[in-house]
Amino acid sequence: MSFEDLLQPSYKGKSLTDPINTAEDKWNLLPAFLQVKGLVKQHLDSFNFFVDTDLKKIIQANEKVLSDVDPEFYLKYLDIRVGYKSGGNPNETEVLLPPHECRLRDLTYSAPIYVDVEYTRGRKIIIHRDLEIGRMPIMLRSNKCILNGKNEAQMAYLNECPLDPGGYFIVNGTEKVILVQEQLSKNRIIVEADEKKNIVQASVTSSTHERKSKTYVVTKNDKIYLKHNSISEEIPIVIVLKAAGLVSDLEILQLVCGKDSIYQDLFAVNFEEAAKLGIYSQKEALEYIGRKVKTIRRLNAPKLSILQEGIEAIATTVIAHITVENLDFKEKALYIAIMTRRVIMAMHNPKLVDDRDYVGNKRLELAGQLMSLLFEDLFKKFNNDFKANLDKILKKPSRVSEFDALLHINIHSSNITTGLNRAISTGNWSLKRFKMERAGVTHVLSRLSYISALGMMTRISSQFEKSRKVSGPRALQPSQFGMLCTSDTPEGEACGLVKNLALMTHITTDDEEDPIKKLCYILGAEDISVIDSSTLHSNGTFGVHLNGTLIGTTRFPSMFVSKFRHLRRTGKLSAFVSIFTNVHQSAVHIAADGGRICRPLIIVENGKAKVTAEHLERLRDGEWSFDDFLTNGLVEYLDVNEENDSLIAIYEKDITSGTTHLEIEPFTVLGAVAGLIPYPHHNQSPRNTYQCAMGKQAIGAIAYNQFRRIDTLLYLMCYPQQPMVKTKTIELIDYDKLPAGQNATVAVMSYSGYDIEDALVLNKASIDRGFGRCQVLRKTTAVLKRYPNHSKDILAGMRVKEDGKPIFQHEALGPDGLAEVGVEVQSGQTYINKCVPTNATESVVGGQPTINQQQQHRETPVNYRAPVSSVVDQVMMSVSDNDQALIKVLLRQTRRPELGDKFSSRHGQKGVCGIIVQQEDMPFNDDGISPDIIMNPHGFPSRMTVGKMLELVSGKAGVLDGSLQYGTCFGGSKLEDMSQILIDKGFNYSGKDMLYSGITGEALQAYIFFGPIYYQKLKHMVLDKMHARARGPRAVLTRQPTEGRSRDGGLRLGEMERDCVIAYGASQLLLERLMLSSDAFDVDVCNSCGLMGYNNWCPSCKTSEGVVKMTIPYAAKLLFQELISMNIAPRLKMSDVF
Amino acid sequence: MSREGFVPPTAANLGNAASGIQTMKDYGVKYICAQCAVNFSLSPKEPVRCKECGHRVLYKARTKRMVQFEAR
Repeated sequence: MSFEDLLQPSYKGKSLTDPINTAEDKWNLLPAFLQVKGLVKQHLDSFNFFVDTDLKKIIQANEKVLSDVDPEFYLKYLDIRVGYKSGGNPNETEVLLPPHECRLRDLTYSAPIYVDVEYTRGRKIIIHRDLEIGRMPIMLRSNKCILNGKNEAQMAYLNECPLDPGGYFIVNGTEKVILVQEQLSKNRIIVEADEKKNIVQASVTSSTHERKSKTYVVTKNDKIYLKHNSISEEIPIVIVLKAAGLVSDLEILQLVCGKDSIYQDLFAVNFEEAAKLGIYSQKEALEYIGRKVKTIRRLNAPKLSILQEGIEAIATTVIAHITVENLDFKEKALYIAIMTRRVIMAMHNPKLVDDRDYVGNKRLELAGQLMSLLFEDLFKKFNNDFKANLDKILKKPSRVSEFDALLHINIHSSNITTGLNRAISTGNWSLKRFKMERAGVTHVLSRLSYISALGMMTRISSQFEKSRKVSGPRALQPSQFGMLCTSDTPEGEACGLVKNLALMTHITTDDEEDPIKKLCYILGAEDISVIDSSTLHSNGTFGVHLNGTLIGTTRFPSMFVSKFRHLRRTGKLSAFVSIFTNVHQSAVHIAADGGRICRPLIIVENGKAKVTAEHLERLRDGEWSFDDFLTNGLVEYLDVNEENDSLIAIYEKDITSGTTHLEIEPFTVLGAVAGLIPYPHHNQSPRNTYQCAMGKQAIGAIAYNQFRRIDTLLYLMCYPQQPMVKTKTIELIDYDKLPAGQNATVAVMSYSGYDIEDALVLNKASIDRGFGRCQVLRKTTAVLKRYPNHSKDILAGMRVKEDGKPIFQHEALGPDGLAEVGVEVQSGQTYINKCVPTNATESVVGGQPTINQQQQHRETPVNYRAPVSSVVDQVMMSVSDNDQALIKVLLRQTRRPELGDKFSSRHGQKGVCGIIVQQEDMPFNDDGISPDIIMNPHGFPSRMTVGKMLELVSGKAGVLDGSLQYGTCFGGSKLEDMSQILIDKGFNYSGKDMLYSGITGEALQAYIFFGPIYYQKLKHMVLDKMHARARGPRAVLTRQPTEGRSRDGGLRLGEMERDCVIAYGASQLLLERLMLSSDAFDVDVCNSCGLMGYNNWCPSCKTSEGVVKMTIPYAAKLLFQELISMNIAPRLKMSDVF
Repeated sequence: MSREGFVPPTAANLGNAASGIQTMKDYGVKYICAQCAVNFSLSPKEPVRCKECGHRVLYKARTKRMVQFEAR
């Protein structure tokens, strides 16, 4: 669905005058939503936020570079821009190399990073604009990408597919995705209890730009302590609170327990602890802490006194995300007190703990955040290098000319570029600041099919260890509803840890805190700094928390919340700020941080949905977009926590007086990949999960530019069809424009014996007509390198026989040493005749210059090796970034289905082709229609894929009716309607037909379930897997056959197979085959020392006396030698047998 | 393709001749620019660059040889 569709007078079959039914047509909000948000938009938003906002913040935080040598000198960063100069338009990126050229030429799709600097030169202050400090890889379709805002024709001009989702980077020619990472919330208190060990702990992971640390408040023998990595032992909580300025025991008690006597009793023990240690004043407490601090000082940093250490620990390391200004610890003391209170509450009532797996306690980290971490690290390093260089030069007493810092900043400019490129291309995020070493952050965008690329963009990977045997993180959480797809997760070790976003979700970016804080005070929240500690926990007082930090209190929480929501609905506030009340904690939580998942819902007031027919008419007429619904307060975004505060009706009929929201469309609980399944609500749930995995392996159309792409491996279907039974999701994600499969006429019946165990019977005539036909394109790259001694790789021509014709190996080559386009290459033929100079490794110095001399070259051709020949599809020549010639050859194979190729329907029902039958032998119906596929009915009972049966009936009705039917989740075409169509067209209502046997011509005994089902051809094909060998290569060390298909390896007769032969009684066969005919080795054994010698000579005894020849397996000989190498002497003792 | 005439052995190509490699004088191979679709030929010494627009991605033109496929 494109935006143009929305502007058409007839929209989705509705013309301007057609009546609008709110209940049915509210789903039109969904395409409108996908216009502005959704699927890939979170990646783009996050990257845009990083480039436009976060970069500027990083620059501000690392604003100045000063010199240790010259106090006069400074360099200050004023501004930073990516892709445009100071006078340019922020929305108009400088012309970059187009992304497709970067893909072809193995370059990085990037834009220059410009900074404005102000610095001193001598006595003058100079402002320099548009200084390039590096190049930033650009996310495709972000607002810095040249594809941003381009229409379909312009995209085609740039060789880009308009349906391509974007959201990935192109680094060195490969498409890289930074997957969404799932983490526990930062800067939030998480309370956990271990009932067995009787431990309660509240922990908070503080994360700021400078540091990351974790602070715990834990119980130990019912007493409460504070634990932190940089403090060597646990500190009694009262001491910490005293150190933070709460000196009076009464105040501590009031802040922690309030007036609750039970809590007071639980907490009282802790006062004794402090009293026992004789700590009463703040100074004593700080000194106590100062003594326990583990100090890691930099070399030349001044030594601090114990008191200073204590102050520093409390001010900066403990709960680092709360900044202390002017030694005012009040806020921090409150935060620790609240953590303590949560611990006490959990001690009293163990149910008051937080759930780590609850989606509301999780944050999703996107490409933008990760890039920002990386950039800040590189930028700091850049500045450090610059400063070091500066100091070195400024130290020199005399200079010829005045010192210009600009000349020295450029030296390091490649560090940022290469640092960014390397991190994205290897996926290793190593940040010194946080001691973070994360591997596998980026992945190559899978282009197996359009769906696999799309599925990758919505994927969420978890930080949890795969090996841990806890089911919690893997289980389906009820709070995932509508946010994460319930079906799409891999099977096996990553099951439940890798998730996918649902269709209508958005991930928030950071919002400014200060305006929200001000707003809270305006709405009547009392500022926390002026609140009397005795009233803080008094009955009916609710704390107002902003991003987990207490900022005020209110006595009218419900009014406060509703006013706040009202402001958000009127658009006075960012739509992604969430607010909710937690009654257990008597707290109002406002969240404005990034990484929360949220989704839009229709607002319901006074039992009526706010979106009415009138609004949908405006949407239909193109007057309104989704954002208008948002600004007019008809629709709002809820995050998981706020959902807990609402009552959401799924259908309009379910609205009661208490309902606050209405679901836009129930099928949005599923993601993009699960949305392909027709009637998924009729299937057994694991079948939908299987289909989600298989949909990504289906061969089909990949993109509109698929024939322009030169990918390592590309599978394309020759005649893809859009499914007869579609879903709304299919239309929304444009699967109908880039489909992967064909509508096969299926007969569900038994035929021959070649259809057992899910095997399929294929119709030969269908295959001849192009069913399941696909192309495989494979790329080979060659780089013509230049060497330091001025020699370089060349392409040699072809060698010819006496008659002037090329030798067999060079038949496919052209005179330029590259295969001719369109020519067939057979196994053993060369298609890139590259030659490497023989003296390439010789040094540049030493010897005469060899430029004029004749260069000797050694042939290193690229040969084709495969059982079936290929055709040269494209030969591309270009230049990579270091001026070396780059050659890419694309080889094409056209494959028709054969025995053993894998097919699957859209219901997790995979099967291989078991037999290909002549159409003449296939069953046929009255109209003479014979099936493309015969499927064995045994596939149904145990798998319970009723959706597949419904797909068949709906598909059949659609075929007869000339219409496309829908199998949308929780909706779709009704079975009764479909049956009615079948009856009207003169067919049986259940979809069964009378068939005749193709062999005998008799009518079949039973009626056969017969109709179209959408079948996908999966990428697993026999041609890529078949392997057999008689004789072949052996490993050098062991002299045993090599392993694996790629090395033409042998097929192992393993231990268990050996056991079978022995059990059968044919052990002499084993001896003959495995030893005498394969592995026999003649050795000379010395009878006196028992070791092996050679040539009738024993080297250890220095004699030839008693040396005997015998035959042992080579493996045994190798074992003996290996033992000897480890200082173990295996000695052979021989005696006469006969 | 095999129509190139006899190349007299010079000091430069003796080594190649020994190993059986033929160096061709005239490269009849045509290349097509990916941007402006102009058709031109290129010698191996020349840089990979379109002679009209300077674009750096070139495709080899389809062969003039007769190609026969088995349609299956």
